[in-house]
Amino acid sequence: MTRRKPALPQERSARFQRAVRTLLARPLLVAGLADPDLFRLIRSQAAELRDWFDRETGWRLVVDAQTARLFKTVPTVHDATYPARDPRSGAPFGRRRYVLTCLALGALERADSQVTLGRLAEQILMAAADPDLTAAGIVFALDNREERSDLIAVVRLLLDWGALHRVAGDEEAYLGASGDALYDVDRRVISGLLTGSRGPSTITEPTFEARMRALTAEVMPDTEELRNRSLRHRLTRKLLEEPVVYYDELTAEELSYLTRQRAAILGRITEATGLVGEVRAEGIAMVDPDDELTDIRMPAQGMLSHLTLLLAGHIAAEPDRVEVEELHTLTRKLAAEHKAYWRKNATDPGMEIELVNAALHALTALKLIAVAGAQVTAKPAIARYALAEPTIRDNGART
Amino acid sequence: MAEETPPAQHPFAHLQAPNAALYRKVMLAFMRAKERFTVHLRPEDIALDLTHDLDAVVEALGRLEHWGNLRADPDTGRVTSVEDFHRARYLYQLTPAGQAAEQAIAVYEDAIGRRGVLQSVALADIATQLRALLALTGNGAELDAAKTHLLLISVAERFSGLADNAQAFMASLRRTIDFADNDVDAFLAYKERLISYIERFIADLANSGAEIADLALRIEAAGVEPLLEVAARREAADAVPDGIDDEADAAVAEAMRHWRNRWAGLRSWFISADSRRPSQARLLRSAAIGAITQLLGAVAVINERRSGRSDRSADFRALARWFAQAPDEAATHQLWRAAFGLGPSRHLTVTAQTLDEWAEQRVAAATPWAQAPPLAVSPQLRRTGSYERRGQPNRVIDRADARRLLLERAAQEAAQTAAARARLVTDGPVLLSHLGQLDPQAFRLFLGLLGDALSARGPHTKEVRTTTGDGTMEVRLTLVDDAGLVEIHTTDGVLSGPQHLIDITDLTRATVSR
Repeated sequence: MTRRKPALPQERSARFQRAVRTLLARPLLVAGLADPDLFRLIRSQAAELRDWFDRETGWRLVVDAQTARLFKTVPTVHDATYPARDPRSGAPFGRRRYVLTCLALGALERADSQVTLGRLAEQILMAAADPDLTAAGIVFALDNREERSDLIAVVRLLLDWGALHRVAGDEEAYLGASGDALYDVDRRVISGLLTGSRGPSTITEPTFEARMRALTAEVMPDTEELRNRSLRHRLTRKLLEEPVVYYDELTAEELSYLTRQRAAILGRITEATGLVGEVRAEGIAMVDPDDELTDIRMPAQGMLSHLTLLLAGHIAAEPDRVEVEELHTLTRKLAAEHKAYWRKNATDPGMEIELVNAALHALTALKLIAVAGAQVTAKPAIARYALAEPTIRDNGART
Repeated sequence: MAEETPPAQHPFAHLQAPNAALYRKVMLAFMRAKERFTVHLRPEDIALDLTHDLDAVVEALGRLEHWGNLRADPDTGRVTSVEDFHRARYLYQLTPAGQAAEQAIAVYEDAIGRRGVLQSVALADIATQLRALLALTGNGAELDAAKTHLLLISVAERFSGLADNAQAFMASLRRTIDFADNDVDAFLAYKERLISYIERFIADLANSGAEIADLALRIEAAGVEPLLEVAARREAADAVPDGIDDEADAAVAEAMRHWRNRWAGLRSWFISADSRRPSQARLLRSAAIGAITQLLGAVAVINERRSGRSDRSADFRALARWFAQAPDEAATHQLWRAAFGLGPSRHLTVTAQTLDEWAEQRVAAATPWAQAPPLAVSPQLRRTGSYERRGQPNRVIDRADARRLLLERAAQEAAQTAAARARLVTDGPVLLSHLGQLDPQAFRLFLGLLGDALSARGPHTKEVRTTTGDGTMEVRLTLVDDAGLVEIHTTDGVLSGPQHLIDITDLTRATVSR
């Protein structure tokens, strides 16, 4: 067994947990934008935090007077439920906005210390003329309102991160083509945005899959000890990032290591984060008794969350697949039943499609279901949302 | 002189003309000659000086004369060759316009070329002169006009030089930092010296600046007006010859205003008016400190770019292409997460109640999710989608009494069972008839035992040994032949049957007693 340092004194350990949780929830903090208390907390614990993340996850943590950045790497490249979002509306980014974000960052990286929205737009226009982009169908001419609002969503994201700081003017005026806005550029933030170990410009693979592989590739360890450490890092990252880690997603090597070291790994995570391991036959969920460390809450208040919970209960009761069509029908019924509590338009014809889509998206993101075409398959952990029924169990009868 | 100058003069035209470089050289040759007090120059002299082709020089001189920079006079000197004799020969000299243009250009080039220096020596000088001024005011005697005036002039001169230079320095520093993008090596070599230079200046400014501020305040306390007035009078006396009194007074007033202004400038340079209007010295200091940070930032950026990392701008452009070429929308999200890693962690929640329940039931790690107790979701939330109730809340029912009653009853039952068992246990085989009277609790248990034993006995056997269903008691039953019927008395009535030998052991205690 690994030797552990003696447990931290209660007070200090609570502060440490808070710092770790903050960084997990928001891997980039910029002074002036983030809560000053939290920022100070992280600054004061920087050395220990750096140590912990390095030892347990292999993630790099950089903390200076202006920024705190945890360079998280993805535990899996196949999860599409973590999109960038417009800070204002929460709508996920689409392809155009992603492209624009990268072009804007490319321009800002070269820019002076200040820039106006108009100037930035000009530079993006120039960069968007890249034949590879136009060949891929990205045309950006900035001649309509929709394109302007794409640009503004991108700028809002950069403001949200602290890559830009607004000095004068506002984006709305630009949207109406009647004004402009002036920003300070924070190069330090921009230089710390990419998390991959390799710069994309050094990767020449032609296909998407190969690019992703190259981007997330890690050095293969060549000694037993390093191999074990790398296994531990991978498992800890999964457990820290993902709502549920199913055993059937792990490689044989990972699974056998986890089986042997489960108590130790979970213990360390619990000590540092306050997350509790829900260990079941199919996998492990690190659950949060404080219900803070997540971007999707369940259960939660509100019509959509309510529907999600009810649908989860229904899916949990079905051992096999559920047709999406069936959920539509159920949602119409539920909307009628809950007329008193739900939004008025929930009973509008056709509304159920939108509602079910949103609910299924949340359940997929929480790794409770898998959706393939028009069919929904329950994943084991969804059973924790089943209605509690008085079942007869045989445990407790002996002894 | 006026009638000799051509009507249209363009002394700066040569700067824009083709061949400007040659014109500049020629004009500079004239300026150099003037410094040696040589006024007239022959084309040959210039060609020799510039080591340039004579024809080109002659051509250039002609053009410059045309623009009014030079004046040509016929050369009446002796010649030594026929060709020279036949060529039109002139002596050239600078015109006043040409000379003024040269001076203007020199000033311009000086200003543009100036890097700007921070003069810590100037600070020391100003301090020294102010000390001298203070000494003059201190002794109460008549002020020495000449001394005072000279000191003030020299302070003013030193000071305006300092201010100009500081301004120029800040400007040139900015150029240097901006410059860093182009010439990295030169910048890196330069920055070390630059930083230590700025640091020294900051220290000097802090020390001398404080002393100067202090001296200025003390001079003001001792009375700065008389000093300024002495200087002003002396200056006015210089400027206007003795004559009308009014004019002299006006000149003194003008000079006085001038001096007050200068003093105020010096004062505000070193002494902050209040926290919102800091002194120039303080501004300069913070600007210099800012410059260092900026320099270090520029160095950091350069070092990062050099240390084998790829060009970030190119990285972003490559990513833009990847996003554009990604196979589907889901792929763009995946790429986003992999490249930026800015997503939050995501975890399911759990309630304290559920955690307690799991702990209580000791849910084993091998339990499937479907068989573990589900999450305790508030029934209110499940029913309405919200934690708050609409309308009147239910009264909370206090079940503490009922719970206590149940607990008491359970304890009582456990005690009775224990007593019954103790009552039934025999020390070795006894006859049924010797069991004595049984209370209902013990009798019920006894019937259970008897039932177990009799049902376990085969059709033709006389003896049976069996354990109860819960495995806590063992009973041995042996039929006693020809003993007839016996009776067992209980509070509920009398049980009769054939006589048996019975041996009851409490297995839960057996291990202890044996």
